[in-house]
Amino acid sequence: MNLTSLQLLNRSLDERQLIWTIRFLFGISILLIIALSYSYHTINQELIHYSERVDHTQRTLIILEKTTSKFYQTIYHGRTYLLLRDEANKRAILENIRELNPLMDELDSLITPPPLNRRVKELDATMDQLYERTHVYWTDSTYSTNRQEQEALLREASVLIEQANRIINDLNKAETKLMHNRMQSRDNYKQQVYRYNWVIMLVALVFLSSSFILLDRELRRNNLYRIELENKVENLNRSNSELEQFAYVASHDLQEPLRKIQSFSDRLLLKHRHQLKDDALIMLDKINESAQRMQLLINDLLAFSRLVNPGYKAQQVDLNEVLEEVKNNLSETIKEQNAVIISAELPSLEAYPVQMTQLFQNLISNSIKYSKPEVSPRIAISYRLVGGAEIPDIKPAHKDLQFHRIEFADNGIGFSPEYAEKIFVIFQRLHGRDEFEGTGIGLAICRRVISNHNGYIIAEGQEGKGARFFIYLPLQPFIS
Amino acid sequence: MINQSILMADDDADDRFLVQAAFEDNNIPHHILFFEDGEQLLNHLSTTSGDNAPSFILLDLNMPKRDGREVLKVLKSDKHLRSIPIIIFSTSKAPDDVNSSYFLGANSYVVKPSSYEHLKDVIQKISDFWLNTAMIPS
Repeated sequence: MNLTSLQLLNRSLDERQLIWTIRFLFGISILLIIALSYSYHTINQELIHYSERVDHTQRTLIILEKTTSKFYQTIYHGRTYLLLRDEANKRAILENIRELNPLMDELDSLITPPPLNRRVKELDATMDQLYERTHVYWTDSTYSTNRQEQEALLREASVLIEQANRIINDLNKAETKLMHNRMQSRDNYKQQVYRYNWVIMLVALVFLSSSFILLDRELRRNNLYRIELENKVENLNRSNSELEQFAYVASHDLQEPLRKIQSFSDRLLLKHRHQLKDDALIMLDKINESAQRMQLLINDLLAFSRLVNPGYKAQQVDLNEVLEEVKNNLSETIKEQNAVIISAELPSLEAYPVQMTQLFQNLISNSIKYSKPEVSPRIAISYRLVGGAEIPDIKPAHKDLQFHRIEFADNGIGFSPEYAEKIFVIFQRLHGRDEFEGTGIGLAICRRVISNHNGYIIAEGQEGKGARFFIYLPLQPFIS
Repeated sequence: MINQSILMADDDADDRFLVQAAFEDNNIPHHILFFEDGEQLLNHLSTTSGDNAPSFILLDLNMPKRDGREVLKVLKSDKHLRSIPIIIFSTSKAPDDVNSSYFLGANSYVVKPSSYEHLKDVIQKISDFWLNTAMIPS
């Protein structure tokens, strides 16, 4: 019994620890996954950003190249036209210039950083200047063919072309460098995203598998526990029904031979009293006395065993009424012994009414029975509501419950503290039968009643200084 | 010897002996017939004619073959025999046994006393009531 309750205690501690460990791990995992997901999201945004930038730069480079190519084509056709005066070259020039304009606009919108954009504008201006200076040559066919003028113009154009060329080169270099940087950043983030993917997966995997292992272990343990519990319930039911059978046997079969002993010794006495010697009569008396005592014991045992299965339902019981009833039942003894019973206001609770009456009656009649000679018995009943933690040796599961605490204190002969537990054992007595009559069932019945109500009963006493009985009954009853 | 008899069915020889002794010690002149189980009692009753029906029957509940409950059921559903007073005489104090006996038509229920003195007293009272106080069918 003690061992199993210890195991249960250990188990409940284990379970508490386990529950907190699981909660802790769960919280940590969730936080970790959220944090990782957030970082992953940020890094992914960066990756997308840099990918877009790389695309942008690539497009810029393509447009720049297109522009360059158109520009050189224009210059090529311009020079050829100046030499050959071929109309086809002139058409090509105009075509190229028309196509250059949208390309330049696009470059202007693509290259946004101010210093580079300024260079684009410069390029545009240089090209415009070149056009301004040279377009008369291919738009006006009557324009002078004076060699000197032409050379001067070509030299001026060369300078402008050189300038445009430089700008284009600068832009190209800048964009290529940008492209390189951005690609590096993009690859960097790509790798991070890849790493984060793995980490998140790993964390989730660890979390899931550890949850699975814990859950699986708990389920299996619960299953074992349930089987164990079912076995215990079965054993309990069996022993209960055995006890009921025993009660029947005690009530019928054990009483039968007892009755014979009494009847025949009676008849012997009745019929042959005159033939019997004195010592024979005494022996017959002893036989009768013993038989009567056995009858009492059997009756008590029966009364006790009937408490196992009450067979009726619990109901709301006013303990003040119970006390009144008990006082009524004991009125003769109370009067005889001049007993005084003082009680505080007692609560109402869900209980088996007959058993409550039995409990009160046994406690009060005990106090009256074990009173000091020459001192009238005085019994004080007090009441208060207490938390389960106040009860010594309480089951761990009951610690958080609230209990009615009813105290019966008397001024009787008391008992030595070492017997505080023993007095509740069935047929255990602290006094000889010559001192006090009785079988020793009263307090055993009290304990049984209290345990039927999932409560506790504790005795305190000192020799010659009265006894105190504490009853603890749960505020929220859980009797079926 | 008085014509009308008293019947008792009980499987316990000691009880039969003690009851007989109690009748004798009380000087009750009626003839008492004993049976060891319900079947013997029913056999006897089936052979007797209506004229010498017993004054009353003392019936134990727990007996081999046909027990007291069965005998009670048979007797109380027989149109000739149902008028015989039946006193259940058993060790059992169980409320179930008492209630079911009256339900089946028992005329009274007496628990076997645990001392001879008490038994003698009870037999005196039963006889006094059923033979001298109460009117019974003749």
